[in-house]
Amino acid sequence: MEFSEVSVITSLNKLSSLKSALSHIGVSGMTVVQAIGCGVQNGTQEYEPEKNPEMELLPKQIVIVLVDNEKVNDVVEVMKKELYTGHIGDGKIVIKPVSNIIRVRTGEEGEAALK
Amino acid sequence: MNEKKLGMPSIIATGVGLIVATSCLLSLGQGAGALGTGFAVSIILACFINILSALCMAELNAMMPNLTGGLAQYTLAGMGPFITIVTMVGGYLLCQSVAGSVECAMFGNTINSVFHTGIPSSVFCILLLVVLIAANLMGVDMFAKIQDVVAYGLILSLLVMGFMGIFGIGTGTQVQQQMNLATSASDYFSYLGLAFFLFIGCEFVIPLSPNVKNARKSIPLGMVLCLVIVCVMQIVMIFGMGRYTLWGDLAASSSPHVLYGTSLLGRAGAYWMVLVSIFAVVSTVNSCINFLSNMCAGMAKLNLMPESFTKQNKRGAHYPGILMIGGIMIVVNATGLSNSSSLSFMILVAMVFWMVSYVMQDINVLIFRRKFPKMPRTFKVPFGPLIPVVAIIGNVFMIFHIDGDPAVRAQIFRLDGILFVVLAVYAALWCKYRLKRPLFQPYEIKEVMAMENELYIPAHKRWEEKQKAAGKMAKTASAR
Repeated sequence: MEFSEVSVITSLNKLSSLKSALSHIGVSGMTVVQAIGCGVQNGTQEYEPEKNPEMELLPKQIVIVLVDNEKVNDVVEVMKKELYTGHIGDGKIVIKPVSNIIRVRTGEEGEAALK
Repeated sequence: MNEKKLGMPSIIATGVGLIVATSCLLSLGQGAGALGTGFAVSIILACFINILSALCMAELNAMMPNLTGGLAQYTLAGMGPFITIVTMVGGYLLCQSVAGSVECAMFGNTINSVFHTGIPSSVFCILLLVVLIAANLMGVDMFAKIQDVVAYGLILSLLVMGFMGIFGIGTGTQVQQQMNLATSASDYFSYLGLAFFLFIGCEFVIPLSPNVKNARKSIPLGMVLCLVIVCVMQIVMIFGMGRYTLWGDLAASSSPHVLYGTSLLGRAGAYWMVLVSIFAVVSTVNSCINFLSNMCAGMAKLNLMPESFTKQNKRGAHYPGILMIGGIMIVVNATGLSNSSSLSFMILVAMVFWMVSYVMQDINVLIFRRKFPKMPRTFKVPFGPLIPVVAIIGNVFMIFHIDGDPAVRAQIFRLDGILFVVLAVYAALWCKYRLKRPLFQPYEIKEVMAMENELYIPAHKRWEEKQKAAGKMAKTASAR
């Protein structure tokens, strides 16, 4: 079985509903990292008429989940729906291939490490 | 309002409370008077088409959630400012002003038909309007807390009276008459326009979504349930009416619901119907004034109406909109909207615009599906483009069958045409001189969403002033 890391860089709200929705589709385990950053708007507030000339870093969070490849589409769909508000700053989803997963405590690898 | 507090019962109460107005009872009486129980078929067809439109609007709400300006934003992002101004000002401002005025007129008619005061009906209408305008200016949402009681009181009253008629347990004398007066399928279609009026307003549930538990499922389901409940209620009333009131008397009456109440239970029935009417009128007109003033403010935020509509008094009420809408209703009532033929004609003229704005929303769904096929939608109408297309066809069909009489139909379309030309000129001038944007160029969704932010207008004003100042400085420098 092959695995992927699905991470999403998003604004600080909506974590609770995302966590709940991911749990609902059987994802167990997620990591949340607080961060600062900006997207293509250079951190410009949506009501401002001009784009910031320099990047303005805003508080963000990165939510990371490891799943087998069969579940990637479901996870992405849930993330898209849960994080969608239509406003600038909803986030970016990144999918990366993972060659192996190893549980440190038991030494289990691959699928066993995700259970 | 506390966050996420509203459940399905409150959604249904709000939806049904808005949909069921006293003027609906007039339309019901007139439709039943013309077709007998056959009007139930028109009602079911109109309900079905409204359900399809409601689902389309729920999808649009899922794409652009938590917007306060009603359907204006969807159209602005789908079709640009010209169509938005024409449909919103025509379909909502104009239509609601007429519907609200008709509602007030019904209130006056109902009072006079029971109490025979000798005072002109319009006096009662204007008094009621003055009270509601004052209440709205005070920022008092007088029915927010008792909306559940009022709406369920309405549903229960109408269902009980309908079933009493069906089972023949009224105290009045039963009548013997042919139940279904329709002779062909075209009879059912010709009353679709009138039947449509019985269901308008379920989209007003959408702005509740930020406060609703599990809004993604509850809002579409709530809208459909509201329509189905209203449909069942109206059909039960028709069958009840058929047992106690002659169809011809219903058609001729300006307060057919009171006539039915009297036929069913004598004076007690009449008083019961007066009470039902008062609740229906006050909740509907109050909501109407409140909704329209907020819609004007929402459109002003989008720069589609004068900025003065965003002004609020110290109690938070958008007073320019309240005074304008209330004023229009007072003028319409003062000019003598008190006989049923002019009432139903006015209703039909307004309905055409409302149906056109429903068609625009159905088209918006198709436009967004094509432009943004991958955009996440927390609610998506099933079966691809089928439902929006059927909704469009259904609404267009209803427009062309707005009245059974071709002469009346032509008169309605003529008046609507004149209104359209006036609105089109206003919209074109507004786009050219105020917005300075192409008439049919849609806004980006992110811009429409940003315009909701209360800092959008001040930030853009500051920017424009800066630009002007910079331009002047550059001119001065070049002159030197």
